[in-house]
Amino acid sequence: MDEFALIQSAQRGDLDSFNSLVLAYQDILFNTALRILSDHEQAADATQEAFLSAFRSLNTYRGGSFKAWLMRTVTNASYDELRRQKRRPTTRLEPETSDGEEMEDPRWLADPSMTPEQRVEAGELEHAIQHCLDNLPLEFRTVVVLADIQGLDYVEVASTARVPLGTIKSRLARARLRLRECLQGFWELLPASFRLEKEDA
Amino acid sequence: MTTSFHDVELLSAYLDGQLNPSDSARLESRLISDPQLRAVMDDLRAARRLLRRLPARRAPRNFTLTPRMAGLKAPEPRTYPLFRMATVLATFLFLASFAVNGLAPLAAPRLAAAPAPALGYGGGGGGPEAPQESAPAATEAQTFAAAAPTPTPAYDLALAPTAESNAKGLSPSADNAGPAESRNEGPVSFAWQIVLGGIAILCGLAAWLSRSNNERRFRGRWDRK
Repeated sequence: MDEFALIQSAQRGDLDSFNSLVLAYQDILFNTALRILSDHEQAADATQEAFLSAFRSLNTYRGGSFKAWLMRTVTNASYDELRRQKRRPTTRLEPETSDGEEMEDPRWLADPSMTPEQRVEAGELEHAIQHCLDNLPLEFRTVVVLADIQGLDYVEVASTARVPLGTIKSRLARARLRLRECLQGFWELLPASFRLEKEDA
Repeated sequence: MTTSFHDVELLSAYLDGQLNPSDSARLESRLISDPQLRAVMDDLRAARRLLRRLPARRAPRNFTLTPRMAGLKAPEPRTYPLFRMATVLATFLFLASFAVNGLAPLAAPRLAAAPAPALGYGGGGGGPEAPQESAPAATEAQTFAAAAPTPTPAYDLALAPTAESNAKGLSPSADNAGPAESRNEGPVSFAWQIVLGGIAILCGLAAWLSRSNNERRFRGRWDRK
């Protein structure tokens, strides 16, 4: 069944159809929430909340990019999660093992196709980027996550963030400028392949 | 020559292919002649490429919704509305029967108020079908009634408007037995009340069972998925 048919069926209350859409989009939504929140547990909560909210308000979807519409729900859920976090701050940043120790690279996240070196390199890169993302103001972070990480076009980002197209362009430029400055501070930490890539450019 | 934020904005849009052809051509000619602008663009492109290379995490679990999470309820069984209606009706009749039985003794004296003088104070005794032999008793009764015109004899007379029963109703022994008998035998009999109460309980149980079984089957279907 194609996406449009699934959406229509889900709008009539068919939970099976909606769950097919959930399975198709859950990775994208989870990644978006993870990059905005920088916390696996909270990202999972925000993703679940986003799908619940999407099911309840599915009748308000009036066509257009369904991905952008879902992105709006997960962005809102992530903002709610951030507000909750401010009210009740937590200290744990990484998932824990069964012994209660912090887990740097959770088993369920590890890509089995990567070599150990690649995994270390990817980990370093990810930490550096996430650190720089976390230092961005929330509205800049959201725009850069939607456009550069999730690959939404400007119109979709504008529809998701509910701001004019010009604002998206401006925010994206500012965000990239700040990221560039931040990443320069991590130059030595960045993977060798990336440094060579930049030097070649 | 320093790069202004406007230039950064142009470079960022250029990288995403969001500039119109004339602006793109103008920027490209500047990029050739301005190494600093080119360096900024290289940095922006590298940052953008880095972000795009961020590993995509798999969702730690499935976020599919269950009917309970989605607030969905099992469809109502076909028999449920029938049982529900029967429960409501039986309960109403059951309660109404108590109300009718309770109100009957209060309503009776008022109903009896108008015919009472004719029946109790001579009317019953002086009826044309009354036998001649009962005349002394009736006279006696009239005397007794005149001496003590309490509401109880009037009520008894109203329930039994014959001369014979008037005489019995006015006797002290009949006076004691009368009210007790009337409590037991209201307009709706005790047996009917039991039947109505039983129907209400049974139909309520049947409605609840049919609904909960249906709900369990509905949830079971989702749990097996």
